[in-house]
Amino acid sequence: MIGFFICQCGTNISATVDTGKVAAAAAAMRGVAVAESIQYTCSDPGQATIAEAIRGKRLDRVVIAACSPRMHEATFRRALERAGLNPFMLEMVNIREQCSWIHSDASEATRKATDLARKAVARVRHHTPLLARKTAAVRRALVIGGGIAGIQAALDIAAAGIPVTMVERSPSIGGNMARLDKTFPTLDCSSCILAPLMVEVKQHENIELLVNSEVDDVHGYAGNFEVDIRRKSTCVDEEKCTGCMICQDKCPARAPDDFNAGLGSSKAISIAFPQAVPLIASLRKEHCRRFNGNKCRLCQKLCPAGAIDYGQEEAVLRRSFGAIVAATGYDHYDWKASYPTYGMGMYPDVVTSLQYERLLSASGPTGGRIRRPSDGAEPRQVVFVSCVGSRDESVGRPQCCSVGCMYTAKQAVLTREHIPDSQAYVFYMDMRAGGKDYEEFARRAQTRYGTLFIRGRVGKIFPRRGKLVVMGTDTLAGDQVEIEADLVVLATGLDASAGAGELARKLNIACDRNGFMTEEHPKLRPVEAASAGVFLAGACQGPKDIPATVAHAGAAAAKVIGMLARGELEASPMVAAVTESRCAGCFKCRGVCPFGAVEKARLPDGRPVARVIGSVCRGCGICNVACPPGAISLNGFTDKELIAEIVEVLKPDVGYRTLDFG
Amino acid sequence: MIRFPESMSAGAALLAEIERRSGQQVSACYQCGRCTSTCVAAFAFDYPPHTLMRLLQVGMVREVLASRAAQLCLDCMTCSTRCPMEIDVAGVIETAKLVADEAGLKDTERDLRLLRRAFLSNVRRHGRLHEASLLIWFNFRTHNFMNDIKLVPLVLRKKNFHIFPPRIKNRRQMLRIFQEINRGGKG
Repeated sequence: MIGFFICQCGTNISATVDTGKVAAAAAAMRGVAVAESIQYTCSDPGQATIAEAIRGKRLDRVVIAACSPRMHEATFRRALERAGLNPFMLEMVNIREQCSWIHSDASEATRKATDLARKAVARVRHHTPLLARKTAAVRRALVIGGGIAGIQAALDIAAAGIPVTMVERSPSIGGNMARLDKTFPTLDCSSCILAPLMVEVKQHENIELLVNSEVDDVHGYAGNFEVDIRRKSTCVDEEKCTGCMICQDKCPARAPDDFNAGLGSSKAISIAFPQAVPLIASLRKEHCRRFNGNKCRLCQKLCPAGAIDYGQEEAVLRRSFGAIVAATGYDHYDWKASYPTYGMGMYPDVVTSLQYERLLSASGPTGGRIRRPSDGAEPRQVVFVSCVGSRDESVGRPQCCSVGCMYTAKQAVLTREHIPDSQAYVFYMDMRAGGKDYEEFARRAQTRYGTLFIRGRVGKIFPRRGKLVVMGTDTLAGDQVEIEADLVVLATGLDASAGAGELARKLNIACDRNGFMTEEHPKLRPVEAASAGVFLAGACQGPKDIPATVAHAGAAAAKVIGMLARGELEASPMVAAVTESRCAGCFKCRGVCPFGAVEKARLPDGRPVARVIGSVCRGCGICNVACPPGAISLNGFTDKELIAEIVEVLKPDVGYRTLDFG
Repeated sequence: MIRFPESMSAGAALLAEIERRSGQQVSACYQCGRCTSTCVAAFAFDYPPHTLMRLLQVGMVREVLASRAAQLCLDCMTCSTRCPMEIDVAGVIETAKLVADEAGLKDTERDLRLLRRAFLSNVRRHGRLHEASLLIWFNFRTHNFMNDIKLVPLVLRKKNFHIFPPRIKNRRQMLRIFQEINRGGKG
């Protein structure tokens, strides 16, 4: 006995599809005992109608014609279960996204919905009850990335008693936030609020911190990931190094200063910054004299702890995790190639916003005094250019970086605080100050700190008599603008961090067209990646400021805790199964399975057959296609079900238009 | 072409004077344009009110002082009433008129300037307006001696044209009001 329920979805469906007519047609189909049109099937009364029909009419299977199963299949399965039916005796027909929303002709849409309904009714007749399996989940989480997002997620998960491994590719955790001077809109010191959290990560009994490490490979599935972690060789024994910095002081080889965004210089062996966690040195072989044909071994000689080991090799650790949090953050857009009119990096006094943060910071290369890179002079006229590599179709970057307006306003304020007789100019297109207290902060930058906001994009920057001439426009005054500046700061847009795409492939999750990792639903599932068991925290999912990042990371942690707290996961029963009597033992299935879910087995008579490990199978169906004798089928997608569906849509009076194997 | 920092330094002293006497902070304007949206006289202006504010912000104070707009402003105060940042826009423009007079900028709307000055000094002297003396003084200053002469019999017949100035009760108080405003207090 089949129950057929069609949802009006308010007017989303009923405006184009005559649901009453479809219900009437369904009522006449073989085996259909009830056919009803419901205003909102997913609502409480809607679900109650279904439950009543199941009990009252002794239904044993149900077809629901409504929205996409991605939206509400789980909802309706639970409704069936509550009414005493096996939850897998449900078939959903998508007549919203695939019918009412995309058609305008009501009679044609109604006809198509009826066709889809027939196909589903034909299929549901062959449904068999399935049982969800429980699989054990490893009670340990992997957090990839040690910026504020990773730190927050790791601390939150660890606080729930679940062990965490944090992997950070650079020598210290802290990420971009550790490089910022002050934070908007409160102007509290970035490293002062971050450093205690960094230390807590290091000291937390539930957190294992692996710096100089990267995720090499990921196998397995939600609850049982196997991850290879590559620990890079830094020639320093982490256990022995005390962070005394003697090696850094004495090292004769200069190297670029990554932490200071390329301003100033560092040494081949160095500690990234004074508050680094862990406070250990690391050696960059590409800049070290010893690894470039010289005999120098000064650091080894001078190290009081004997921590230097030139022969240290890379190691790959394999660990098991139940869940993975990607918290890889962002990089600033490399503007040079795309903005020839801003000098392509030829003018030393055109700096990026991140470099300016380092010039403002007391731990930066100038000790917190603003100095121009070219001659070390203190600038008086400082020009900020917003939206460099943001909202610019001509360089292929239409997106808003979402933080540029605010960090530029902050930097303008700090400029006046550092140099009271300076004047800051901000070229902007729109002031986007949507956060709490942000608008008030931006106003203060204008009224209290005298920042001159100029609405217009800068056309050109060129040097003249030791200054930089900034050619722009003031669309509000309706005139061209020319500023003789001492220093120009470019508010560069944000990119997903380097290597995020590669990591996404390893995690089997998607990235959007701007390179940021994609969440499963933009509103309702903002921290879940499309791959089960993988979660996103912070700017790897899209540009975010610090408060949004912390909130996002906390949400990801809550999802991990919810998943791992019970120690076992409910796995979908829609996995492949082998009919052993038909299996020829060719093991083509084993060859094509991307998850290694097929094993070789022997029947008592010695005949080799394939066997599917249910807990490893992800239900992709590739083996079904590969199997020559058709011995493997996918629960819930059996050949019988699919053929019934196809036969139904191919009936002469139905037509080919709605051929849909969904 | 607006040149920085020259523009800012050139306008700094006059802007500070306008801000002090009007009691307003010009940098608070965020250019929403509501003043212009409500202005009843903007159709005759060379710059709409919000642009006057912007010109002051970027240091182009002289353009504002020399503008027709500043002279044609009716002081109806609608802009000040409606400004979301509670800036007294009309007050800023009125102050700009006074500063322009003091700075000796006399080219724009000369007659209008003369009339306004004549009007104010007339009120100051008599405590209220005395049309006859205003008219004579204004026509004399603008060298239009015979202007409106044909209307004289008409207004005399209607008996609302007073040859002698009116007397008000407390002229001292009126004088104090003028002194207060000239000191740059908040009117």
